[in-house]
Amino acid sequence: MSDTTKPPSDARRAFLSQLGLAATYTGAVAGLGALGVAQESSAKSESPAATESFPTPDYDWTKHQWAFGVDATKCIGCLRCVEACKRENGVAGDAHHFRTWVERYVYLEGETRARVDSHHDPVNIEASGSEGEYRFANRYKDAKVEKAFFVPKLCNHCTHPACVQVCPVGATYRTEDGVVLIDHDYCIGCRYCVQACPYGARLFNEEQGVSDKCTWCYHRITKGLQPACVEVCPVGARVFGDMNDKQSPISLFVRNNRVQVLRPESGNAPNVFYVGIDKEVV
Amino acid sequence: MPKHIVRLLLLMAAAAVLGYAAKIFFTSESFYKYGPYRADSVPELASQEPVFQTPGYCQGCHAERHAQWSANSHKSVSCEVCHGAALGHPLNGKLPIPTDTAKLCSLCHEAMPGRPGTQPQVEVAQHSSGQQCIVCHNPHSPKIVSAAVMVAGDAAAGAKRAAACSSCHGTNGISPNDTWPNLAGQHAAYLARILGAYKSGAQKDVMMTPIAQSLSDADVQDFAAYYGGLSCKAAPGNTGIGDAAAGKALANNCTACHGETGIAGNPAWPSIAGQKPAYLVNALKAFRAGLRKDPMMAGVARSLSDADISNLAAYYAGQNCGPATR
Repeated sequence: MSDTTKPPSDARRAFLSQLGLAATYTGAVAGLGALGVAQESSAKSESPAATESFPTPDYDWTKHQWAFGVDATKCIGCLRCVEACKRENGVAGDAHHFRTWVERYVYLEGETRARVDSHHDPVNIEASGSEGEYRFANRYKDAKVEKAFFVPKLCNHCTHPACVQVCPVGATYRTEDGVVLIDHDYCIGCRYCVQACPYGARLFNEEQGVSDKCTWCYHRITKGLQPACVEVCPVGARVFGDMNDKQSPISLFVRNNRVQVLRPESGNAPNVFYVGIDKEVV
Repeated sequence: MPKHIVRLLLLMAAAAVLGYAAKIFFTSESFYKYGPYRADSVPELASQEPVFQTPGYCQGCHAERHAQWSANSHKSVSCEVCHGAALGHPLNGKLPIPTDTAKLCSLCHEAMPGRPGTQPQVEVAQHSSGQQCIVCHNPHSPKIVSAAVMVAGDAAAGAKRAAACSSCHGTNGISPNDTWPNLAGQHAAYLARILGAYKSGAQKDVMMTPIAQSLSDADVQDFAAYYGGLSCKAAPGNTGIGDAAAGKALANNCTACHGETGIAGNPAWPSIAGQKPAYLVNALKAFRAGLRKDPMMAGVARSLSDADISNLAAYYAGQNCGPATR
């Protein structure tokens, strides 16, 4: 503290920072002494990352901001998306494990609440013939239907995801380009995230003992392809694209429609935007 | 400093060093690189191989199919929706061609509350009486385009000039020869369409092409009206060319357009009940060989053997053309 011209607060700050440095240095030396090899290699991996594109040589995640759109007025409930997602991502073949699904809302005459079913409803499983095939049974064919529609659902890839917040081991995270992913190597299968998600979008893979979820087909979008569910949708009810590109399908979708998100009050700030859903859809 | 405090401090320092070393040892190198997660897991996930390819991938080999598909109303339905994911194809073998199309097509086209009105939907039971959809619809070009045209010709004017046709098609539109078709009682809309096709060159025949080219559009309408109004009652032709019973079983695939007994429900399609058997055989073979061009018939005839064709001809030639005498 030889420099007396400094105000007392600066002097204190300098002292504290020196103390911090000293502590870090001592710790580093101690760590190096204990595990010199590990320390060295970890320092090495820091340097080249700044210039290279991540996560792949052809794809830089800082240049994209993905988002998803669902036009429920177009959905015909064919469930090709559900089947394609399972095939693309190797999700278990039974009806009760799925990363995306479609809900059918039916308001019958004289009823005030919607009847909701999805492909894993026993009636629909029976109609499809097996748990590995997906079909909506025509169960309201002869009923007096006042209003009915289908709503595709999937992970909302929230900006402030509750599932990431609760993960105790850092196994789930949000990427720079706006996709919430799971590191299956780190997941300990505690299922906090499954419970934390307000949308019920996560599932548990009992075979591997890890949580699982929609990745927006991260392996496809990083190669310039569409997610599998978007690729197979025959009516264009699912829209995907880069919000950074003002002419991308999703930018146009959000700009040209009045969109809404599910459960905005939860504070998760979803990135799946809906058109044509009703008050009971959450 | 008292000894026991020094010991305690040393113990705490040792614990801190040990803890820090353990953290370094157990934490992946890339953890904290971009955030509190293992950065290496991102390229791991991104490196997974896509299972679904794109129609562009299919186009590489199936250019002709791709061209037909992409020009028609099913172009929003990607190849892999019906044929399955293309990863490993063609290396690991063929992709399936759906056989139970009634089941597949009804996934999207079964009339169901909740489907938007813009989606083409049918009551499956009434629409096809259990037949496979591809009997009538080409999945790559599903719309049936041969819509009936209104025939507004003058039958009397047609009758006056019909003498020129009678040497082959008979005085009353009943052909004297097994290889030439009867015209009497045929749907006028079909007659006008097919005569128009000879005239335009869309369909070719050594005899018919020059004759049709000399006709005006009004003539075509007049002839269609005249022959469509005649009675088709005629002695059945030689039905001995095939097995009518076997033909009846095969004919299940024809009924949706040509009617159960060969009386077509839609005037755009020809009635074939009581038609000349040899003519039916020739026509089917021409469709099969691609000499007569019709997207529907080409698909249907492709799978028929010579024996099948004879059996079908025998069956339809033996049917009563009765109700078509309108």
